[in-house]
Amino acid sequence: MIRKKCVAMLLAGGQGSRLGVLTAKIAKPAVPYGGKYRIIDFPLSNCINSGIDTVGILTQYKPLELNDYVGSGKAWDLDRLSGGVHILPPYQGQKGGDWYKGTANAIYQNIGFIERYDPEYVLILSGDHIYKMDYSKMINQHVETGAACTIAVLEVSKEEASRFGIMNTNPDGSIYEFEEKPANPKSNLASMGIYVFSWDKLKKYLTEDEANRDSSNDFGKNIIPAMLNKGESLRVYRFGDYWKDVGTVDSLWEANLDLLNPRIDLNLSDPNWRIYSRAGEFPPHFISDKAKVENSLITDGCEVYGNLDYSILFENVTVEEGASVEYSLVMPGAVIKKGAKVRYSIIAEDAVIGENAAVGAPPESVSPEQFGISVVGDNLTVGKNAKIGPKTVITENVEEGASI
Amino acid sequence: MIATAVSGIIFANSRDEAIEKMTKVRSMASLPFGGRYRVIDFCLSNLVNAGITSVGVITKSNYRSLMDHIGSGAFWDLDRKRGGVHILPPFNISGARRYHGYVEALYGAMDFLNRCNSDYVVLCDGCVVANVDIAAAVDFHIKKNADITVVYRSGVQVKDVKNMMTMKLDSDDRLVSVNFPRSIAADDLASLGILVFRRDLLIELVNNAYENGGRNIDVDIIADRVGDLRICGYAHNGFSAVMTDMKAYTEANMRLLDKEVRADLFNPKRRIMTKNRDDMPTRYGTKAEVKNSFVADGCVIDGEVSNSILFRGVTVRRGAKVVDSIIMQDCVIGENAIVSDVILDKKVGVNSNTVLKGTADCALYVEKNQKL
Repeated sequence: MIRKKCVAMLLAGGQGSRLGVLTAKIAKPAVPYGGKYRIIDFPLSNCINSGIDTVGILTQYKPLELNDYVGSGKAWDLDRLSGGVHILPPYQGQKGGDWYKGTANAIYQNIGFIERYDPEYVLILSGDHIYKMDYSKMINQHVETGAACTIAVLEVSKEEASRFGIMNTNPDGSIYEFEEKPANPKSNLASMGIYVFSWDKLKKYLTEDEANRDSSNDFGKNIIPAMLNKGESLRVYRFGDYWKDVGTVDSLWEANLDLLNPRIDLNLSDPNWRIYSRAGEFPPHFISDKAKVENSLITDGCEVYGNLDYSILFENVTVEEGASVEYSLVMPGAVIKKGAKVRYSIIAEDAVIGENAAVGAPPESVSPEQFGISVVGDNLTVGKNAKIGPKTVITENVEEGASI
Repeated sequence: MIATAVSGIIFANSRDEAIEKMTKVRSMASLPFGGRYRVIDFCLSNLVNAGITSVGVITKSNYRSLMDHIGSGAFWDLDRKRGGVHILPPFNISGARRYHGYVEALYGAMDFLNRCNSDYVVLCDGCVVANVDIAAAVDFHIKKNADITVVYRSGVQVKDVKNMMTMKLDSDDRLVSVNFPRSIAADDLASLGILVFRRDLLIELVNNAYENGGRNIDVDIIADRVGDLRICGYAHNGFSAVMTDMKAYTEANMRLLDKEVRADLFNPKRRIMTKNRDDMPTRYGTKAEVKNSFVADGCVIDGEVSNSILFRGVTVRRGAKVVDSIIMQDCVIGENAIVSDVILDKKVGVNSNTVLKGTADCALYVEKNQKL
């Protein structure tokens, strides 16, 4: 095996339960984003663009669609003779086996995989965020400072800080304390869940952590505090570009519509930093002479006969005549029938919104407590003339004329 | 060794001279078509969708863009240990020269024909845009116990084509005569340049024709042997277009604005595959006004577009108007520029306030990389 300087391990086993019906059948990293992507395209594209060609993907929850999507890794140029992409589910060994108990345990169980490449550094990533980042700069900083662990951080506002893991640092960027979701944050440097470890150190702490039966085997809760306790050198790596957690329905919707905001710098067509995806084979999209399209993103396979404003159509979506879609995401294969109105909603894959049905409502039409993004689950049908209010999650078919 | 039942051969430099302006920098088969495709994608996908995994692409000249497009064949699932796609350039056997006519071309590709070890070979003219069920054509060929099967067009088609072989069939679909008219009438049964042969017979026919100085398959093999070989015609009832000149090319592209043509050509059961460029979806701005247009990924549209085909990565700036036009990959239409009845080849830049107009009868063609 050719030696690799750095191996990336992508934690993709989480359920993403806050996304509800959107992750009922698929793991969170496989959730569609931005018209033709899935969340996992971001860390995978960042890896290859950063020169990292060996990536282990740790899966556990509903891995079928994710496995299928990643395939040989060809779409990201990660089908390699040496290295490349590897799906790493929990497995049984001679002494039995176990589910991944926590993020750290998932890596622990795959020490064998990492050691095959004899790396100096291991990059820990998650499949929960939308961002473009050159990991090689972070690794370079890690090498130059000689840290045992470098943690990517983002400056957040004081109000937001209590939702994140916060790094309290000395002026030189070394970390003296880590606080998970502090009520009174001392700093505004939030962990992005991206770590570079020197492999010998990480291996040592993973092994010790595994021996501790009381540990929950988690990076944030156990490994980082243990390293700080032992006086290891931990440093922050500051990141200032776009980064968004897409863990909830609202944040997923927001992160998508950010692509339509000219003031937000998230260009997915930068030829020097392409975000790759495994696209289906669909023809270009068609806009009819009856359609009106403004402020929207549309991709291959779509047929648009209705009106679109501030929306994203994923692959192979049909919007029929007289239908209107505003401030919404319509995921692959969904159909919006004649005269239907979709506003402030996420329509999941292959769902059908019947003729003259209405889904969601704009914020100005309801009180602030009532407002929220509505979601129609995948493969569901909303019957003709049905009405679905704001902040409503549809998990089964809706009958004709029903009002929810 | 396991024999694959059918292999395919595509002629990439088919009718290059028909659209001379556009084939100056490329072969006919690599002519951009339909927003994100090149003409050869239809042949390649048709063969692959019929389960054919061994394909030879015969080239003559100008094949850099073609090689770049095909690469390892991975986009058509043709990167194979056994079979796969093989580019067959000229001069690949000693003493070979640039071929004139497909008989010589096939003679030059004899190595491939001898090695591919299939029972049947499907030949495809690389200037045809159609979604043809080749598996059905091969089944027909076997069922009819034919020596040669010619796929002919029937149904929706681009009218304005020239120089194609037409034929008459008897009630058993057997060819009784062929003709080479200058222009094609609507009820003519015109060949789509897709031919099915038993491989051993093809090799024999090519060797014989070559020795006798024959050049053209239609003339020197089919017309010559209508009487003594069992040659049958298989109807392709879907949409088809043959790039016999600039007008046919333009019309074929514009027909994509027709829903039925799209449904037939991009039949989800037989997808047309192409090289992926990983563009982001197309962005429509606040001032965008797009009507009746076929638009690929990666475009940024802030102006007006109507009755047009936009390839990948086209930018239409504010106030610009694109009407009745074909705009290829990465063109930029500047602010308030007007472009109508125009074909812009790749990476053309149209400056702000510039007006470019062709006529409905004759589109204005602008070569690759021009800045106007």
